[in-house]
Amino acid sequence: MKNKIKIFMVFLWAFAGLTACDQFDDNAHTKKVEPVRSVIVLDLQLGDAPTPSEFNVKLINYNERYEINKTMSSDGMLTVDDVIPGIYTITVSAEMNEHGFTYNYSGSVVNTEIIRSGVRQVVKVESSKAGNLVLKEVFYCGSKTPSGGSYFRDQFYEIYNNSETVQNVKGLCIAIINPLTATANLPVWAGEDADKYVYALQIWQVPTNQDYPLNPGESIIIAQMADNHQKSTLNPNSPVNLITAEFETLVNTSSIISDNPAINMIMAFWPSPTPQWLTTVFGGAFVIYFPSQPIVPANYVTPVGSTTKCYKIPISEVVDALELVGNVNQMNLKRMPTVLDAGAATVGGTYNGKSVARKVKETVNGRVILYDTNNSTNDFEVMDTPMIRRYGAKAPSWNTWD
Amino acid sequence: MEYLGLVFNKSNDMTMKNFKYIYWAGVLVITLLTTNVVTAQDAAVKRTSPASIERLKAGSLWMDTYNGAGLVLDNLSYYSDLKFAYGYKNGDYKLNSDGERERAITVSSEGGLKFGGGYIWGSFSYVNEAQRNTLFNTTMLDFDRRMPYYTVDKNLSDFLKQSYNLAMKVASKPLWDKVILGAQAEYRTKVGAKQMDPRSETYVYSINVKPSAVVIMGNHRIGINFEYQNLVQESTTTNSDTQVNQDVFVLRGLGNGYEATVGGLQSLGMFVYKGNQVGGGLQYSYLMDEYRFLLSGNYIYGMEDVISSPSKPKKEGTVKTQEIEAKLVAIKDGDNLQRLELSYADSKLDGIEYVQQLDNTYEVQRWVVLYKSIRSDYKEQIASFKYDFFRGADKNYKWRAGVLAQYKKNDDIYYIPRSTEMVENFFIGINGKYSFGLGKKSNLLVGANFVYKDNLDGHYNYGGAKPDSYIITDFMTPDFEYMTNSYSMFGGDVSYVTSISKNGRTSLFVKAAVDYYKPVDWDSDRIQSTFTLGFTF
Repeated sequence: MKNKIKIFMVFLWAFAGLTACDQFDDNAHTKKVEPVRSVIVLDLQLGDAPTPSEFNVKLINYNERYEINKTMSSDGMLTVDDVIPGIYTITVSAEMNEHGFTYNYSGSVVNTEIIRSGVRQVVKVESSKAGNLVLKEVFYCGSKTPSGGSYFRDQFYEIYNNSETVQNVKGLCIAIINPLTATANLPVWAGEDADKYVYALQIWQVPTNQDYPLNPGESIIIAQMADNHQKSTLNPNSPVNLITAEFETLVNTSSIISDNPAINMIMAFWPSPTPQWLTTVFGGAFVIYFPSQPIVPANYVTPVGSTTKCYKIPISEVVDALELVGNVNQMNLKRMPTVLDAGAATVGGTYNGKSVARKVKETVNGRVILYDTNNSTNDFEVMDTPMIRRYGAKAPSWNTWD
Repeated sequence: MEYLGLVFNKSNDMTMKNFKYIYWAGVLVITLLTTNVVTAQDAAVKRTSPASIERLKAGSLWMDTYNGAGLVLDNLSYYSDLKFAYGYKNGDYKLNSDGERERAITVSSEGGLKFGGGYIWGSFSYVNEAQRNTLFNTTMLDFDRRMPYYTVDKNLSDFLKQSYNLAMKVASKPLWDKVILGAQAEYRTKVGAKQMDPRSETYVYSINVKPSAVVIMGNHRIGINFEYQNLVQESTTTNSDTQVNQDVFVLRGLGNGYEATVGGLQSLGMFVYKGNQVGGGLQYSYLMDEYRFLLSGNYIYGMEDVISSPSKPKKEGTVKTQEIEAKLVAIKDGDNLQRLELSYADSKLDGIEYVQQLDNTYEVQRWVVLYKSIRSDYKEQIASFKYDFFRGADKNYKWRAGVLAQYKKNDDIYYIPRSTEMVENFFIGINGKYSFGLGKKSNLLVGANFVYKDNLDGHYNYGGAKPDSYIITDFMTPDFEYMTNSYSMFGGDVSYVTSISKNGRTSLFVKAAVDYYKPVDWDSDRIQSTFTLGFTF
């Protein structure tokens, strides 16, 4: 027995020693940090758009809460010294006005490692004309009731005509893409051209039975429930009254949900509908687009290793996009392709009654023009009180219940 | 007390088994040490008292070393004590993580006895603490190991803690009159629970063993010891109000770190700390008439990894520790006892951080380390001088007096982006006690002490992100100002000691002690008081 105890003790100490040796070996020779040099090279894919003389380059390290801002010429190479080794999102942007159009240039490399000096980071830059229709204000996080409960029925999405020409929103779709919330676990899609699409979990469409013209400076409101949410039977603490919204995403009526004056949108794709179109209060990623083909729900796709049904939306059909995340710590958890939205916006919490709204760039002859650089981090700001038709946006004339 | 019930009803069976084992082990230690052992070999029965135990320890060369084998060389007599103490602290002169009010209930026991030609020593303590209104500490229970990677939040909260410490030293009889074998071991475990959202539960344990040996060569004694320590800490954070997420900040040193959330889909995961430490020491002792000298040196090397979310582990950081320590002790016996101690300790902690990326491929699904480097260094130097004089060669001294001086410097740096913090302080103090006889069986021991802390220098320069954040303005800067504030400390204690056994050996004592801290530049202050009921055997 004594011998067994001795043997056991020897093995115990040997195991402890080996565990310690393993841990020591892993880190004994770790060196002091040294800054590195990064080289940025542009791959310009601008199509017919003119080439700006200069681009803004931003290197963002979300983990370190650290960013470097530089400028570079379109034909050159940028060397950035004294970079802290880490994972970076590199964004390149520019804006140019020519021939009466505003061109936005953007490109990014997301979550790339900069840990050795001299490694080239190639950033593909594409161009787009500033969008005619933009997501102007989105209220997604819900509000608190007087008793401290959570209220989510007052979500809305305002789409604004940011151009100087009339836009017809007949058939316009709004979709929330997969994954639902900001995450590092991104789905993997099959196909060599998988990166040319975004993949929607749910799609609602403006009816196609008639025209819905939107003049410059006018906006439409798409509401989860186009009701007066401040009435006593709903949530007196809600910041919004949506009875004048143009469209609502009605699933079914119930004791709480009415078929309000707003026009009911078409549920174009939603494999498993719930009683209401509640999008995640932690912030979803949205696109608005005009489908070139009818939407056929049976033509769904699924990610590799998953059974979640999604609908492919060509990036080329997207009119505008907005990525929302739960808080500032998730800014690097990108799920929207950066050519659509190089950044993200957030109200920083849930049920806090705040919204995100696009910033005003300028006012021309009384018409408000909003920022649209395809980067929500720069284009949007947080509003403490959500408001429909902010900055004097008007309702379209066919909205007779406004 | 309700929390004690919660601790013992916790669903972690392994933790419960450990606590119950420690509890009964402690009871056994107390029972062994508080029983008059038949094999005790003291020639004459003399009263044991707190003063006699102080004097016994002061007269020991080897008690404070890391070499348990040397204990038998001190020829210590049998002693033991059992104490029940209530401690209370109050005042605003404190670090953010300290409570505005703190109370601690302590049960402890300690003792040693000769056994078979060798010597055995053991101690046990249980402490139940309540800290009221702490700030900027979500998960850390012990700041002594200076771990820079932990979570803080800005909500005022109470913190309840409970700890068990078990220690032992054993020395064999001299083998072949030349070699003594020995060992030391210490087991510490602590649990704590933060009482306000974001709440936390933290469990930490450590075990430290030091096998040792001493070789006797006439008046020369050479000792050697080795050391191994293992430490594990687990910290989980939750909210009781699940509707409201709580913002926290995960520190990386000197105010650097990142923001996180407790609650919601991206809630902060469990933090697990695993540390190992090895080391060794050498001792040299020389005897010359009434004089005894001991020169010792010790070196420790350790690593502690911090990971979060163990099911998909992500490295939060690693701390590499190196410590060296040297001490010279000189004791003069005779009509009076005099003890001189000079010591120097130098420690360096390297904070290693990682660049990681989540590999999302289906077969991998884990964090991959791409790069690691030392991002911060924490250095501490402490040089001390201490002299004590005990009047009277008897077991109990008549009076004692002492002086102490200490120089302490902390010099920390976070390399990129560069932040530095340096604090340099000098402490000087005097103390004394006098024993007033109250008849044959009782005495009153009255003590006083004074310490002055003089801040020599200090600076805190933060060069990281968001210098106007609450972490810098409300946490790091006020704590730095506390550390660089000079203060005066006035303390006093009174003990009433009386013999309670027929043979006069066992004593009962009641002690009240108070220390008052008054900073030079602040209006606030801090008072610490302790009331102790104890027995000595």
